[in-house]
Amino acid sequence: MAAGRLTARSDADLIQASKRGDLSAFEEIYAAHAGRMKSIAFHLLTDRADAEDAVQEAFLKIYKAAGAIQFDSGLAPWIYRILLNCCYDTGRKRKRQAESPLAAEPPAIPNNVPLQLAIRHALDRIHPQYRMVFWLFEVEGFRHSEVAAILEIPEGTSKKWLFEAKRELKRLLTESRA
Amino acid sequence: MTFDCKDLERALAVPELLPDAREHAKVCDACRRELWLWSEMSSVAPGLREEWETPDLWPKIHQTLAAQQKAAKRNNVRFDWRMLAGIAAALVIAVSVFIFMYSPSGHTPAAPRDSDFLTEQTLKEVEQSEAAYRASIDKLSRLAEAKLNASENPVAIAAREKLLVLDSEITNVRSTVAHNKFNAQLQTDLAMLYRDKQDTLKEILPHAQSSQ
Repeated sequence: MAAGRLTARSDADLIQASKRGDLSAFEEIYAAHAGRMKSIAFHLLTDRADAEDAVQEAFLKIYKAAGAIQFDSGLAPWIYRILLNCCYDTGRKRKRQAESPLAAEPPAIPNNVPLQLAIRHALDRIHPQYRMVFWLFEVEGFRHSEVAAILEIPEGTSKKWLFEAKRELKRLLTESRA
Repeated sequence: MTFDCKDLERALAVPELLPDAREHAKVCDACRRELWLWSEMSSVAPGLREEWETPDLWPKIHQTLAAQQKAAKRNNVRFDWRMLAGIAAALVIAVSVFIFMYSPSGHTPAAPRDSDFLTEQTLKEVEQSEAAYRASIDKLSRLAEAKLNASENPVAIAAREKLLVLDSEITNVRSTVAHNKFNAQLQTDLAMLYRDKQDTLKEILPHAQSSQ
């Protein structure tokens, strides 16, 4: 899948136009990526308002940093890297504001629920790095090369972490359904 | 190769072994279930994607960026003006020194009057007008801000952000003016910022009222 690939004007054209202050070009970038960005932010922050704040923050940073973008790995990985950093910042702030310092234990996977729901529960129980790769590849449809560029890891590591994610999920789902 | 149940995990990691695993699964229920689960995870995963409408998100981003652009343009204009003023001042000094050194003795050139700079009397008038203008905008601001701060209307939220940018810009320009009271351009910039703030307040007051 061509993640965030834009047809009318190329990513490079749009970012060049944005650099010159063309907000309609920037709106095209927003239109192409905002949906997936909200989904990723929601996955990380589990709250729609926080996710929207993180996406807004990310777009303001993207616009500000448009002049510095290197097109070696394309626009999309750069955009999503900025988003992940905004999400981590929001997550850290929220953690500081939370009254209870203890992280909540993820709930056990319920029996006899639809597979999709069971996967959602199981995802909370696997390693965060494996979970992120699973989410980007399987849920959001990025290619391994894009996942690798977003997370700044080798492509082989992306493949390995996806395998580990699925193996862990399979184990948890098999146990819960046994 | 003779495929056994214990080979399944390796087959999941190495796609070339999958045909053998599928063949084995035809006669092994446990492996069939595992293979099914493995591929089903990928089929079901895109359904986990969270989607919802956010019609206010882009307008908020757009408004913030537009306000930033406007502020940046003003800063650029001021920077250019300062640079030109510096060059002009250097030229005036250089020419004055040249004239002083090479003109016949006893001749003292008249001091140049620069129309870009304000006289004492004009400055007093400008300061009085600015104080009156600022007082009236502050009054309007107090009226609007109480309602704005309580409003969750997206236009009001965006306007709050714009007003913050404008207020910070006004503070900057005012502090510059304090060191360059006779500078007509800076006074004009300040007046433009006040006008912008006044327009913004007038524009959003109905939204803030409607969301109460």
